[in-house]
Amino acid sequence: MPTLTINDITVQAPEGATLLQAARTAGIHIPTLCHLPGVHAPGACRVCLVEVEGARTLMASCVTPANEGMRVRTNSPRARNGRRDVVELLLSEHEGDCTTCARSEDCELRAIAREAGVKEVHYQGQRRPTRLDHSTKGLVRDTGKCILCRRCVAVCQNVEGIGAIAPQERGFGTYVGPAFHAPLSEVTCVQCGQCSAVCPVGAIGERDQVDEVWRALNDPQLHVVVQTAPAIRAALGECFGMPPGSRVTGKMVSSLRRLGFDAVFDTDFSADLTIMEEGHELLARLRGALGGGPKHGPLPMFTSCCPAWIQFAEHFAPDMLHNLSTCKSPQQMLGSLAKSYYAEKIGKKPEEVYVVSVMPCTAKKFECDRDEMRDSGAKDVDVVLTTRELGRMIREAGIDFTALPEEDMDAPLGISTGAADIFANSGGVMEAALRTAYEVVTGRPLPSIQLEPVGPIAAGGFHQASIQVNDVVPAWSFLEGQTVTVAVVHGLAHARQLLEDIRAGRQSPHFVEVMTCPGGCIGGGGQPRPTTDEVRQARIRAICEEDASKPLRTSHTNPGVTQLYEEFLGAPLGERSHHLLHTHYHPRCFVAKAPHAQKATPKPCAEARPES
Amino acid sequence: MATSIRTHILVCTGGGCIACGALQVSAALRQALRAHELHDEIKVVETGCLGPCSVGPVSVVYPDGVFYENIKPEDAEEIVSEHLLKGRPVERLRRSAVVAEAKEPEAQAGFFDKQVKIVLRNCGIIDPRKIEEYVARDGYEALARALTEMTPDQVVDAMKKSGIRGRGGAGFPSGVKWAIAKKSTGSPKYVLCNADEGDPGAFMDRSVLEGDPHSVIEGMAIAGHAIGASQGIVYVRAEYPLAVERLRLAIDQAHALGLLGKNILGTGFEFDLDIRMGAGAFVCGEETALMTSIEGNRGEPRPRPPYPADRGLWGKPSLLNNVETYANVPMILLKGAEWFASFGSDKSKGTKVFALAGAVKNTGLVEVPIGTKLGEIIYDVGGGIPGGKAFKAAQIGGPSGGCIPRQHLEVPVDYESLQELGAIMGSGGLVVMDEDSCMVDVARFFLEFVQEESCGKCTPCRVGTKRMLEIVTRICEGKGKMSDLDALEKLGESIRQTALCGLGQSAPNPVLSTIRHFREEYVAHIQDKRCPAGVCADLVRSPCQNACPAGVNVPGYVSLVAEGRMDEALRLHRENNPFAAVCARVCFHPCESKCRRGSLDEAVSIRGIKRFMADAEVGVQLPSTRIDAANAHRKVAIVGAGPAGLSCAYFLARLGYRPVVFEAAARAGGLLLQGIPSYRLPREVIDAEVAMIERLGVTIKTGQRLGRDISLSGLREAGYESVFLGIGAPHGTRLALPGEEAQGVVDAMQFLRDYNLGHECHLGKDVVIVGGGNSAIDAARTAIRLGASTVTVVYRRTRDQMPAYAHEVEEAEREGVRIRFLLGPTEVVVKDGGVVGLRCVPMELQGFDRSGRRRAVPSQQPPVVIPTDMLITAIGQQLDVSAFAADAVPSTNRDGYLRVDPRTGQTEIPWLYAGGDAATGPASVVEAVRGGERAAVAIDRMLSGEAHAFWRAHRKVNTFFDPDADPSTAPRAHLRLLGVEKRRGRFDEVELSWTEPEALREAGRCLRCDYRETCE
Repeated sequence: MPTLTINDITVQAPEGATLLQAARTAGIHIPTLCHLPGVHAPGACRVCLVEVEGARTLMASCVTPANEGMRVRTNSPRARNGRRDVVELLLSEHEGDCTTCARSEDCELRAIAREAGVKEVHYQGQRRPTRLDHSTKGLVRDTGKCILCRRCVAVCQNVEGIGAIAPQERGFGTYVGPAFHAPLSEVTCVQCGQCSAVCPVGAIGERDQVDEVWRALNDPQLHVVVQTAPAIRAALGECFGMPPGSRVTGKMVSSLRRLGFDAVFDTDFSADLTIMEEGHELLARLRGALGGGPKHGPLPMFTSCCPAWIQFAEHFAPDMLHNLSTCKSPQQMLGSLAKSYYAEKIGKKPEEVYVVSVMPCTAKKFECDRDEMRDSGAKDVDVVLTTRELGRMIREAGIDFTALPEEDMDAPLGISTGAADIFANSGGVMEAALRTAYEVVTGRPLPSIQLEPVGPIAAGGFHQASIQVNDVVPAWSFLEGQTVTVAVVHGLAHARQLLEDIRAGRQSPHFVEVMTCPGGCIGGGGQPRPTTDEVRQARIRAICEEDASKPLRTSHTNPGVTQLYEEFLGAPLGERSHHLLHTHYHPRCFVAKAPHAQKATPKPCAEARPES
Repeated sequence: MATSIRTHILVCTGGGCIACGALQVSAALRQALRAHELHDEIKVVETGCLGPCSVGPVSVVYPDGVFYENIKPEDAEEIVSEHLLKGRPVERLRRSAVVAEAKEPEAQAGFFDKQVKIVLRNCGIIDPRKIEEYVARDGYEALARALTEMTPDQVVDAMKKSGIRGRGGAGFPSGVKWAIAKKSTGSPKYVLCNADEGDPGAFMDRSVLEGDPHSVIEGMAIAGHAIGASQGIVYVRAEYPLAVERLRLAIDQAHALGLLGKNILGTGFEFDLDIRMGAGAFVCGEETALMTSIEGNRGEPRPRPPYPADRGLWGKPSLLNNVETYANVPMILLKGAEWFASFGSDKSKGTKVFALAGAVKNTGLVEVPIGTKLGEIIYDVGGGIPGGKAFKAAQIGGPSGGCIPRQHLEVPVDYESLQELGAIMGSGGLVVMDEDSCMVDVARFFLEFVQEESCGKCTPCRVGTKRMLEIVTRICEGKGKMSDLDALEKLGESIRQTALCGLGQSAPNPVLSTIRHFREEYVAHIQDKRCPAGVCADLVRSPCQNACPAGVNVPGYVSLVAEGRMDEALRLHRENNPFAAVCARVCFHPCESKCRRGSLDEAVSIRGIKRFMADAEVGVQLPSTRIDAANAHRKVAIVGAGPAGLSCAYFLARLGYRPVVFEAAARAGGLLLQGIPSYRLPREVIDAEVAMIERLGVTIKTGQRLGRDISLSGLREAGYESVFLGIGAPHGTRLALPGEEAQGVVDAMQFLRDYNLGHECHLGKDVVIVGGGNSAIDAARTAIRLGASTVTVVYRRTRDQMPAYAHEVEEAEREGVRIRFLLGPTEVVVKDGGVVGLRCVPMELQGFDRSGRRRAVPSQQPPVVIPTDMLITAIGQQLDVSAFAADAVPSTNRDGYLRVDPRTGQTEIPWLYAGGDAATGPASVVEAVRGGERAAVAIDRMLSGEAHAFWRAHRKVNTFFDPDADPSTAPRAHLRLLGVEKRRGRFDEVELSWTEPEALREAGRCLRCDYRETCE
């Protein structure tokens, strides 16, 4: 426990603490920019400089270890001037048009400029050249606004294990982007949007599709329905100044009605449906592997709800694509049902129903555009909005969100259970699946099991659990006495590691849940900013409360789902669900062949094109 | 068994010499030896760098020690047949560059004399590709000793005691670094060698790796033993293929002999060496960036702490030193720490290798003891500045370093002293710059370098240096503001404080150090929109015009002369300088020394062309003028009808004023008339141009002496709104020696004035003149003409330091004047009240003074007495303060001349202006013209409130120029001179004019640097 003084206050710093941490324990705030707690501290931006007695230069507090006897000043003229100069230089290169910037409300650079006391930018000159990258469905990048803090680089490389973007070139010409000036669509980017979640300025964001939705809402020919992912209800309030973890399900529904949607559905419904399909798929695979039944795909089985993970597997694990569950994601299931089952009910053709999804995710924008996702006869989901876009839309419509009454979702695709809510958390899909599968197999409810992340989340995580299966019902006798091992990973770097371990035989789980974003969808790339660990924890808690508040907490007890099977689908894994709710994925090249060509969408390379 | 080898021919195969063809020379020598059947007794050895790269390929023949330079393959036969067979060295190829040009004894110190070779001990002596040759020179003995006789602690101790400091630039004590790395507990440990040399103009590390790779390998192995590492890595840039090739070969050879690998020398010590090639990023020379690069990532620095010695490569303890540091290690162990510490200065021990480059005669690789004076490196080792140019600054330490100006040639080159001056030792790049370098441009160059090489990671370096570069570039383009200087200093200091790594923290150094030492040059760019060195393209129309104090459009009138359009040429000249004919005789033509034709063959003889042009004047060629009735009624007085006063009057008159000039003498002309002898400047030439000025509306009142006939207050009372003082500096400076009051001692100004104005002028028989300026030479040549039997000029310094124009000195000697250098007068010997001799002490040159000249100090030699009956002193001139009589004397500067704003000539009294020698001290006619012009512009601005100096705008000249044509091949034409025999006893003009074809041909030699495709 080194003892040091900061601004003449004696501070006992935790062992191994940095000056920044030591200062915070003493209640002294130092602004930071490039520092992303738990992910990286490169000491690059120099916004957190402090004066250390005896040091020749100012020191970056985020990386300088707090040592015994140090005398530190965070508020001396030298430290303040140094920090202010740095911020002024950042402002001088930043091509930011604050009035129209999507980040005008929550821009960290603006906040830091205020904290540093910048009243005038003394240094003027050339600004960062703007290269706009619209090449992907999910993300838009603007290098002109980039201030090279490299948080995006760190999450992409360290958390997601992808490294699609990195610093290029040198000097003032340095920019962050894919190598060789390639557009994002031609590298292994999975569009998870974690880069956009950590960007302090408006340099990376989602493709804004608010206007497309306005157009649909104003089109009298269209019956516009909306679905909201489980994670939205725990985060949307943040767009309106509510504290993280506020549960706003009812207000969200009434706001959507006021925006003019013809029906408000819940992705929770199709999450329950997913559990029915995926749970049965798992049991079928287990039977094939353990019970001598017909082969139904290899083990372990991986969840397939997360589109970024799907694309990651297509890029980096083409050998294991058959291990992915064939289930479409809940958003796509709901989309195809809305344009078939629901459309039939209201007497519309598939193309007359317009499906809007509100997702915490930028990769969902990519997913809904995939060729595989048109089984209803039209594009199953027309437009995906992120939580942030919905927040902007509600604001634009002049709706006072916090004052809204609470309303319920529409039937039949708005009915859900608590098992669907927890899809938003890392470990939630797994728990929901186990709740149903365990009850199907044993007839008893699932014993308590810890699958949500504990401790720091920002860098993702991995954990495993084993379930001893005893006293099974006769139909599942092959599972009697078996130990089923499940694994939960969040953060694709951990997924990559697990894939390697599985290939090498070091790990052999039966069922693996993969979520790309640390903490799961509650920490998604489309969620309100900033997403810190405290915010993630609050959202996770809110989701768990939502689950606990529901009378029904297992998917197979969802009456809407039961009705669906009776009226439309038949049985899980049946003919109709095979057609509407399942699909297959295909290998992708690492890097497209012509990196400089401006192509709108990634195309699978010729060698990897599926035979069909 | 072959016969024993009697002679070795060492051919340098450093990168530089190979580029010049050393390998072909080597092959040709072998072939010639074989042809003469000498190949059994004479051996050709291809060695590493010998040093003087500028004269490569070079070679030394042992045992004779004959040094050949600029050898071509064709020379091989002659070397073999003449030198090796017959014993007659080939003189035309022998090293002579330094000695031949040295006329004075002090310059004879040769390239090698002051060097001490520790690091380069084997470079140029052994074949770097043969480990046996390294071993034969005690190679690997230090390693053997370390492994068998010394504990690691003892090795570290020896390093500490030696006092060696890191040669990579920062100068951290290496022994301390080794001790920390040894103490560090992690495992494994690494020994890393930084060979990522990237400073512009630096090639020390490359030469060591190319010339003596084993010394680095041995040093690293010893380091491995000392800190407990068994793996070393050399990080070398990929642009050094030859260094990599030789190092790789050396590693293989060391492996084969058991000097690397497992169980080295049977001691159980294991050490291996790998090479990692860098892609050529400058920042990878920074230690943490270097390690990041080895790890396979983008080479970017990371914050320290942790320091490499604790957590370095792969997070393990790592010892990182520079090539040169490791190359020193074997010698420290072999000869002892005390021996090593006997070289160098108090705080910096040993030697330092420098890559000497730029405007210096001997460029190449040199090694000198640390603490050697900068001037000694440049002048003694480097041979001084070529082309008779003046030394301006030395850039030390590469882009992180700074510029050291001529005032500091005495600085000992060690870590602390350089730091005090705002430079750093750096890795050893030493770029010498002469007067033709613009320091703002130099700062811009280095800043551009670091900006491009910045890794872009931290904000201050990425954006801050860009902002600085933008400001400096703006200044170079003439768009700067004075506040830019403060901004640069503030931002530079901020970047120093806030950047992440050493590259960024030192990036502002070139700018800060040039602002510190050359602020005036920045100010000239900003305020005068002028680049004094003639470099910055946006400010310089042509180097000659830029160099002219009066700003005369030189290419304009030269090209008009070339077309035979003499009248137009004269009028164009008089736009900026009324004294075309005068300057055609007496100007020191700074235009010619900047003439770009000089780099082709010889400068255009601009003054010769002007002479022809002036001689061709038949009708008086008046410049353009403006009539202004209002101005005509304003009263402006000018005191002194010398070149400054007349110029001021001339330019005022062209703006419509009617100035009145008050002259003390009976005739106008001032110094032109009173100081310059008529054999240089005929009186009618002066009269003609004075008359030309009078025709513009200038009134000259002679016989009006300030302080006697007129006074400043009187002029004010008479209604003069503004007064310009062009009163010169007519009084000679006293010697301040005993006996100075004796009969026969006179000051040169008085002597010349008396003769030129026709007063009675006493002349002695044996005349001695003290001084080295133009007055001294004018007095000497006048005395010779008047019939003195001997005329001796005594000067305390050397010929190259004489302020007098070189051609004047030369002519004086031809006329019989004897010049004695390095004699310092100590006493005027007096007998019977009259001078009989001058006692002088022989001087010697020691060190450098603040003007960058060698300092002359009395030597131990016995004094000499030069007999004389007339002693003329010409050691300086002073203002005549009696001119101010009852009025207060306007304030004067440190040298005793009137203090004026250099841009306007305004004194502290708003209505009073001054120019010429009275303000500048003794200077040239053309500088007096500039002083007069500036004051005229300022007076007009004061009186009218506006700027009207229409002549300052550039005038297009409609002469023909074909940019695609080859330049004229004619050699420079020289002025013809009156025969020496016709000069004695007469004052006829010495210089004679050309014929018209000669003049036109010479004018045709102009390269037309002023040509701009877009505007001409």
